[in-house]
This record gives sequence, C-alpha cells and structure tokens, in this order.
Amino acid sequence: MVDRYLADSALASVVAAWALDHRVLAPVREGAAIVYRVFTEDTHPFLGRPPTSSAKEALLPQTGDLFTYLYRKDRADLTRTEVFLSEPPPPEPTLILGPRPCDARGRHLLDRVFLERGVIDPQYSAHRAGTLFVSVACTSMQNTCFCHWTGGGMDDESGSDVLLHPLGTGGADGFVARAVTPAGEKLIAALPEATAAMLEELAAARAAAPAPEAAPDLSAVADAFLAMFGDLDFWTDQSARCLSCGVCTYLCPTCSCFNITDENSGMKGRRLRTWDTCMSALYTLEGSGHNPRFSRAHRLRNRVGHKFCYHPREFPQAAAAPSGLEFSCTGCGRCIKSCPVAVDIRGIVLDILAAAAEKAEGAP
Amino acid sequence: MASEPRDRTEELRSRVAEALPDLDFVLGYGRGFDPLHATPVAVRRERDVGRLIFDPTCVQNLATSLYGLSGKRLGLVVKGCDSRSVIQLLQERLWERENLVIFGLPCEGVLDLAKLRVAADIASVKAVRFEGSPRHGVLRLTLPEGQGMRDMEMESAGLLADKCLRCRHPNPLVYDYLIGPEIAPQGEEDDYADLAALEGLSTQERFDFWKRQMGRCIRCYACRNACPLCVCKHVCLADSREPHWLSAEATLQEKWLFQVMHALHLAGRCTECGECQRSCPMGIPILLLKRMMNRELKELFHYQAGVSLDAVPPLHTFLMEEDRIKDRGLLW
Repeated sequence: MVDRYLADSALASVVAAWALDHRVLAPVREGAAIVYRVFTEDTHPFLGRPPTSSAKEALLPQTGDLFTYLYRKDRADLTRTEVFLSEPPPPEPTLILGPRPCDARGRHLLDRVFLERGVIDPQYSAHRAGTLFVSVACTSMQNTCFCHWTGGGMDDESGSDVLLHPLGTGGADGFVARAVTPAGEKLIAALPEATAAMLEELAAARAAAPAPEAAPDLSAVADAFLAMFGDLDFWTDQSARCLSCGVCTYLCPTCSCFNITDENSGMKGRRLRTWDTCMSALYTLEGSGHNPRFSRAHRLRNRVGHKFCYHPREFPQAAAAPSGLEFSCTGCGRCIKSCPVAVDIRGIVLDILAAAAEKAEGAP
Repeated sequence: MASEPRDRTEELRSRVAEALPDLDFVLGYGRGFDPLHATPVAVRRERDVGRLIFDPTCVQNLATSLYGLSGKRLGLVVKGCDSRSVIQLLQERLWERENLVIFGLPCEGVLDLAKLRVAADIASVKAVRFEGSPRHGVLRLTLPEGQGMRDMEMESAGLLADKCLRCRHPNPLVYDYLIGPEIAPQGEEDDYADLAALEGLSTQERFDFWKRQMGRCIRCYACRNACPLCVCKHVCLADSREPHWLSAEATLQEKWLFQVMHALHLAGRCTECGECQRSCPMGIPILLLKRMMNRELKELFHYQAGVSLDAVPPLHTFLMEEDRIKDRGLLW
C-alpha cells in the first residue's frame, strides 16, 4: 500500500468528502474536553491531543434500542394479548476520526466479548461491520499512558483502517496517511502520495522519540490477582478513595458491561441496552436486595480482575502483551487521567504483584 | 514540589502523628500519579504520615470521603471551603463532631486543572513549581525535552479555581488543629457575574448553551458522587426504577433532569465547593445551576450554607411568614 499525504489545510475538505457517505464522528475541543461530535460543515476536528472519550461509542453506543414492542388486545378474546416485536433500523455507515492506537486496539477486545464467545451480538456486529477507524498515531507518551504494558504502541496499527502519522508538532504540517485495511485504502485513494522527505522526517521523529520506561513483567499478574482475591483488607485499602462513579468505565475503550431495561409507554415500549458500570452500587444488585459486590472494595476488585485476570484466563491462546497475556486493557490511561480522585490502575496492578509475592514468601 | 513552606507540611504531619493513636485513620492528601495531581490518602499508621502533602494541587474536598464512614473516629484534613461542607454535614446530623478531629489549613487557592489544560498541554508534565503565593505568584511547568514542547511559566492567579477567586473563607471555620497562620479573605464579595453573563442571553441562546453543554454528559454521576452533600448516593432517584422518573437512556432530557434534581436537592445546602464541576470529565459547568439556587437563597433568607455551626439552615425550619417572601394577604 502507498503512503499518502493529508495536508493540514486539506483535512476539513477530506473529512467533508468522507461525510458524504458516512456518519463521521470527529473529535472537537470543547473547553478542557475533547469529545466526538457528528461532523457537519461547522465542525473543526482537533487531532492534537487524545480525545477525552474513547472510540467505544462508535461500536457500542451508550444507549440503543434492542427492539421495540407493541401489545395488542385480541378483540375476539380480551383475555389474550398479542405482542409484536420490531428490530431497530440498521446503523448508519460510520467513520470515526481521531482515535489513538490504544482505542483502535480496543476494537479487538470488544470483538472478543460480542463476537467470539459463541454468541454473536447482532447489534454490535452491525456497528462493527459498518464502522471505519481513521486513527492518529501518537508522538509522545503522556503521564497516564501505558499502552506498552499491554502490547500496544504509539504507532500500533491493529484495529485501525487508516493510521495518520503526524508531521510536525501535533500534525501541524499534516499527516502521512497509511492504509491498514482495503477499506482504509479506498478512503485515502484520492490523496497525493507522500514524498520521500516526509517519510524520512517521520522515521527521524520516530527514532528521536524517547523510549517509554520499560514495562513491568506482568506474566504473573493473573495468578497474583487470584492469590489476592480473598484479601479484602487489601481491596478496601485500594478502593478507599474511590467515589464509585462511572468515569473510569465509561471512558474505557474496552469496558463492555451493559444493562437492559424496558421503557414502557402504554401498550408499547422499547427494550434498551445501556452502558453499565461495575463501579456503581447498583451493579449486580439482585432483585432480592442482595448484592454479591456490596462494597467499593468488591467492585474495584471486579474491574481490575476483569481486565488483568479473568480476560487473560478466558482467552489464554491470545498472547498480545509482552508478558504473554492478553489483557482487556489497552493502557490508554483515561481511567487515571479523568478520575476525580486520581486512582491509578497501574499502581493497583503493581501492588497486586508485590502483595502476592509477599504473601507467597510468608507462606510455609 | 517546593510550593508550600516546608514547615507547614511538617507541622501537619506531626499534628496527625500526635492525633493518630486515638483515631481509626486520618484522611489527607498525598501525591497522585504526576506532579499536578493530588490524591486522597488514608493514614492509618505513623509510618505513613510522611505521605501527607499540602499545596495548590490539593483540589479534592475530602469531606466527600466521610460518606459511609460514620461510626468511625476520623481525622480529616480541610481547607477553608471544605470546612463549610463539614459544618453542613454536622448541621444535618450526618456526622458527630466528637468523632471528627479536623486539621484545618488556611488556603490561598487551588489549581483548576481544566483551566490549565486549556492553557497548556499538561498531560506529560514532569515537574511543577509554585513560586510566591498562588494569587500573586507564578507556576512553572517542566515538560519533557525534545518533543516540540517548551517549559512554561504562567501567572498562577489565572489558573486558580473560580471559587478561590471569590473566596471569603480561606481559613477553616471549624477545626481542632489550625496548621499555619490565618490569612485574609482572598476574593471580592461574590457578584454572580457568571450568572449575569448567562442571563444576559436570550432564552433560546441559553437553551442552546445548555443543550451543547449537556450533550457531552456521559451519565457517569461523578458530579453526584463527588458531592459531599449528595448523601443518598446509592438510592438516588436518577437510578431508581420505582419511581421511574429517569430512564436509562443517554438523552438530553434525562441528563438535564438529573442536574435540575441535584441543584434542587442542594438548595440551601450547597457550599459551592465545586466538586461536581471539577469531577466532571466532560467539563460541564454544572456549578452554575447550584450558584443560581444559592443566589436565590441569599436573597430570600440572607443565608449562606456552611458558614456557621449555630445557624439554622432555612430549609431546616419553618416560619408562618417569611420576612422576604411576599405571601402576606395570601394566608387564610
């Protein structure tokens, strides 16, 4: 595939062309937040920093109808009611502009949940098939970034259809556009070819970028988590500052838990699927009033455990991370950056490893 | 991080160490994942006292952390503004004064990271240094080398939280230990200029403003959970199916209804600590709604929440005829 050049000045018109046959979600700066908005002619996409939200919303909208229903009384026999179901319209073809490589990798992890567990989720599947990722490569690691712990990297192409490599600071001189999939190649086919000088500049910038601090060895983390599972004091300590809000899970590119509710209106209604968050006290609250995860400690343990233990144990054949395990975390760091009380999942993971090692040493 | 006179942090640590034997633990501030972030820490043992810090990055209101801990005997580190939340909690009998040991820190202002994020790319900051007082000094940021970024120097006053710019209570109003000398009120009397600006817009413009702002909401409820006075967190109407006032949909209508509910439940109670707005990952200016309620309360009842332990909050009492509510003649 040919490397192409997307000039900064051409960005708006190129995106406008994509928007002719796609719903384009473009990152927009609004105050201190960078959020995806549906692209219109007034939109000024901002690609200079990673968006506040993850790209998950393109594949798994925060809410959506699973189906609508209608009850109808049988006129001949009023004790009988018929129910009619109808499926929602298929999702519009969508293109999401501006995810980072960590977001794009999140696609594979959502696929594991919705496509690869024996049951294929039709809604997710339709969104997945109809969504293109035009991602932006990173040029530096932020304080909250740890993609390299989980097998990712600043210019990792997996999950993207096109990866834009910024030239100059934050893409001030445009982007080298590299197609990753045939669909991505089609998107950028009309762009001019990148010059050899641009590719040289890119390679030089890559070589000059400081290497991130070495990732810790996480090969034992799933077992260490299980060793610490029953130590509630440990989890109480780790979760003491947590506010039980949903920032971490809703901004996460891989958190996939959802809730299903019916919204009735007389004889008709809709069955909705909505993001759920395991940080909420209502998560796993049973009809009886019992909740097996009744404290913040239980709930935080679930979030960390899901990402660093249950997922790698469920998909042992997938070995993406340097430690030989695939985590359901791409190291984007949004849960750290946007947490109102600065809970750091990296610190929790390292504490698990240290505490489990200490426990093992103390054991007879 | 040499912003705070070394001796004040040391004094805090030694006071906490003194009080610790009689307490379950002390809630204070520790350094978070980078030099711009503080994080709440629970100090349980004397050897952890050294984790305590205090400087303009200590933005959180730790009174929020008291939720669910009543029955314990706790130490709590507060700034002036935070102490007002404690007063309100005490007035509502949600905490017992004798079970709280309060370490009060006169405060000249804390950073608003949202303002800083607009002014600079702070995501990879390596070191932070405050020079002079927060209101009149400068903030120096050290950024990583060789990535087209330059170290920055900014006047810190423009980066402080709005509440600090109009702060009338920099000194804790309730405390057991006062750490450091008292300071003069920092800001001018609140003129509600932010509300006036919004009210200067036409109804349609205001509607469009809120539609745009609330459009970003992800319904994470950080605003609710970070609020020290949102005390029915886990039985909130926002999540309730019975009554079913809000659906699970992420529509503007649901998002807005929750904010209205939050503002109304906080009327006469909100001390404008700003935690709701600070915690919002999407930067939605929801404190405006609470300020609007507070301005009414001030006008109607001449009342400000959390300023005096002895005052009776207006919604805790009842008068047949309120002084400033014109209902005379309407009574039967």
